[in-house]
This record gives sequence, C-alpha cells and structure tokens, in this order.
Amino acid sequence: MNTSKTQNGFMLLFVGMDWHKGLSPEQTQKISEDWMNWFKGLMAEGKAVAGHPLGFEGKSVSGKNRAVTDGPFAEAKEAIGGYFMLDVATMDEAVEIARQCPGLPFGAKVEVRPVLGECPLKPENTVEEALVGAK
Amino acid sequence: MNAMEMSNEGYLLLLHVNESWRELGREELEKYVTQNHAWLEHLMTSGKAKGGQALARSGAIVSGKNGRSVTDGPFAESKEVVGGYLLLNVETFEEAVAIAKGCPTLAHGGKVEVRPLTNECLSTKRLEELKREEELATA
Repeated sequence: MNTSKTQNGFMLLFVGMDWHKGLSPEQTQKISEDWMNWFKGLMAEGKAVAGHPLGFEGKSVSGKNRAVTDGPFAEAKEAIGGYFMLDVATMDEAVEIARQCPGLPFGAKVEVRPVLGECPLKPENTVEEALVGAK
Repeated sequence: MNAMEMSNEGYLLLLHVNESWRELGREELEKYVTQNHAWLEHLMTSGKAKGGQALARSGAIVSGKNGRSVTDGPFAESKEVVGGYLLLNVETFEEAVAIAKGCPTLAHGGKVEVRPLTNECLSTKRLEELKREEELATA
C-alpha cells in the first residue's frame, strides 16, 4: 500500500451509475440516504471539503476536430456518478474512507486519486516534470 | 437531452488524458504546456472556472462488498485516465461544451467529458418520479 503523503488531498471518483439496478425503490432510497449522510459526516469532520453527484446526461468532446458526442454513456457501470474532495494526508486514510462507500456492495467502484499542486500546469513546473518523466 | 438545459450548480469538465504528450519534443511540449496554461488562466480570470486541479496518475480503486478489493495504481501508461477536472461557473450546457472545445489536450488524444452538477441524488429523483406516476394512476 502506498502511504506517501500529499499536501493537496485526494479525489474520490464514484464509478458506476447502475448500482441501484435490481434494488427496490425503498432500498435505493435507503442507500442514497446513507450515501448523503456519509458525505455530511465527512464534511462535519472536515475530512471532505467538497462533493457533488453528477447528472447522468453529458457530452464528450474529443479529437482534433473537437467532435461532440452525446450522452448518456454507453456503459452506465463505467460512468462517473459523483465525486468527493478529501482533505486527508495519506493515501491509506483516503482508501479507508473509500471503503465506507454505501454503493460498494452493489457494484459501485471508487477511484482514489491524489490531487497535484494547485496550478500544476504552470509552464516551468510541467516542462520540468515532463522531462524528468521522459528520462 | 435538452442541450439548453440549465444547471444552477454549474458543470464539471473531466479531462481524460493519455500519455501521448510524452512523445513530444521540448519545443512542442513547451508550446502545449503554454497553451494549457493560457487556457486555464483565461477561464480562471474570466470567472468561467471556479476551481480545478490535476490528479496524479497514481491511485487506488476500491470495489467489492465493504471495499474488500483495493487495487493499487499507478494506472497503465496506455490507459486513458481522468487527469484533472475543472468546475465551470456557466449556466448552459452549450457554454460548457464550447469551453470544453477549447481544451488544448484535445489535439493530443485527450477527451473532455462535460457533466452537469446536481444537488439531488438521481435515484431519489427517480423514486419521486415513480411515486408521482403512481399517484397519477390512482387519481
């Protein structure tokens, strides 16, 4: 397990928008409430600093000709349904929080990603990093 | 979907990137980095973006009941990952898509996902719709 520290926190990306498939409306509502309460608890503790569910509709822009493709996405189980920004110091702690996600028993996945510096695309930083990375 | 649909909460751009920029020479890379910087700077100073960060390529994926499976990153170099995000302070989907089209990573195999932020859980919303349909059916 990676225990390296980061100054910038972590992002949790919730992958899978079909976790409620096969559940009754009551079960779905219960898990949604658990999810919301989980978030509120993390906010109250100061461990989460932001978060949002995402609408299922969406568009993708890609290619040199900037082609726009309509959502909804082909694979609901691979679509990102929301995110949390965590203000915790270690990957271990972020993973521990991710493991509490109420959607996990129903097939949701949580991607835990360290956030890089505030403006990581500053020309001087990125060129240096890129050149180091390319060696 | 209605392209003009309003989102009071704004929009999220998810920047999907691959590693193709690593093949650029120093001059090309410098140009690319400068373009990225200018794009972000413009969005931040004009107030169209209210936040954004880059994500490390490392990470973990948690899945399974009670999070029993934890797969460590880093992710394979060939694989496309979410490399960063931008929160947009714009009112329409069209404006968000127009901004996404300006992203310099598009010329290097990147993809930008444009998603409305919501404040309500989609499953709760769906449940409310079902209840309303029931009420109408029994009325």
